Amino acid sequence: MTPEDFDKLQSLLATRAGYRLSRDRIHLAEHRLGPIARREGYANVEALLSNLWANPVASLAWSVIEALLNAETWFRRDRIPFRILESELLPALSKARPDGRIKIWSAGCSTGQEAWSIAMTGLELGVPVELVATDLSQRAIEKARSGLYTGFEIQRGLTAKTMLRWFEPMDDQWMVKAELADAVRFGRANLLDEPTDDARFDVIFCRNVLSDMEPTRRARLLDGLERRLVDDGCLFLGAEEKLEGETVAFRAVNGRRGLYVKAPSALRRAA
Amino acid sequence: MDFRTCLIVDDSRIIRKVARRIVEGLGYEVDEAADGAEAFAYCTGAMPDVLLVDWNMPVMDGITFLRRLRAMPGGKRPKVLFCTIETRPERIAEALAAGADDYVMKPFDGEILQSKLTEVGAIAA
Repeated sequence: MTPEDFDKLQSLLATRAGYRLSRDRIHLAEHRLGPIARREGYANVEALLSNLWANPVASLAWSVIEALLNAETWFRRDRIPFRILESELLPALSKARPDGRIKIWSAGCSTGQEAWSIAMTGLELGVPVELVATDLSQRAIEKARSGLYTGFEIQRGLTAKTMLRWFEPMDDQWMVKAELADAVRFGRANLLDEPTDDARFDVIFCRNVLSDMEPTRRARLLDGLERRLVDDGCLFLGAEEKLEGETVAFRAVNGRRGLYVKAPSALRRAA
Repeated sequence: MDFRTCLIVDDSRIIRKVARRIVEGLGYEVDEAADGAEAFAYCTGAMPDVLLVDWNMPVMDGITFLRRLRAMPGGKRPKVLFCTIETRPERIAEALAAGADDYVMKPFDGEILQSKLTEVGAIAA
């Protein structure tokens, strides 16, 4: 891949997905695009890209974008958010919403491990949770929806006891049991798109999305999350992520790493 | 609690070598045993903080060793991860019932071992 190809890829990812493809990922990009080039019948990655620049077919562009997104995730990643959810948020919310279900959104859910981890927490507590999980990548969503994980994936973050409680062997993989499968609704969504409905959530998990985004697009993402979050709701960002002046809508909760609530100035919609 | 030593119990030298590299990377001092009887003799001398134990081994298998370990004075203290190629749920449940703190299906990697050791409290989250 030429430096010009990489520049164009960076711009494609930035404009369509708000994603920052840093220069150190050039070899990773080359490696990930190889299988797409082969599948689409091109001699190599260069041929795939020169065709894409000359003839930007949406489906091919999206295959390329999806291959370059950072899909890394695992079960109960960082642990602490799930502990806070279990011991504080769900008990408090189920008191505050005695008749309703608690609405949670896993935004940027990748291959689904975060959503299943949230769903397990709700089911284990016996708290009714309505869980929506979305990702930009159709491929990631299809995998998430299949509920099938390799031995490596299923063991990363789950104890054997939890694995046996919620998954069963299926050929060489592990498949989510029906009881858990019914607890999550997966769909494709771009977090930069304007909301087309008025769904609002009590808790939003949007972890390790912001840090991979173009700095100039972060405010737009955060604005979308703010509009989707009820005024007394909670937002989880990734453990390593910090807001740095992108928004005044959220403030960090002291002593709860990664946890944010709406700042008083953002409560205008309550009026 | 300060966990420092790990005994790797596996009849495969290659598995022991791979596991040793991972566990040493997590800050443990590692020793090896090639079967349950060797491991048992080791534990009567010095009880390790963590054990990785294979199931099928000559002389004494992992389940027999685990049951004897748990019956020894001080044998309930170490964290035991069963590490085997066995993936049937009823066998995994059997190992947990015999006293394993957690269970690792082979093949595994560093991320899995680290995640499992964190989950049983052997390393800080």
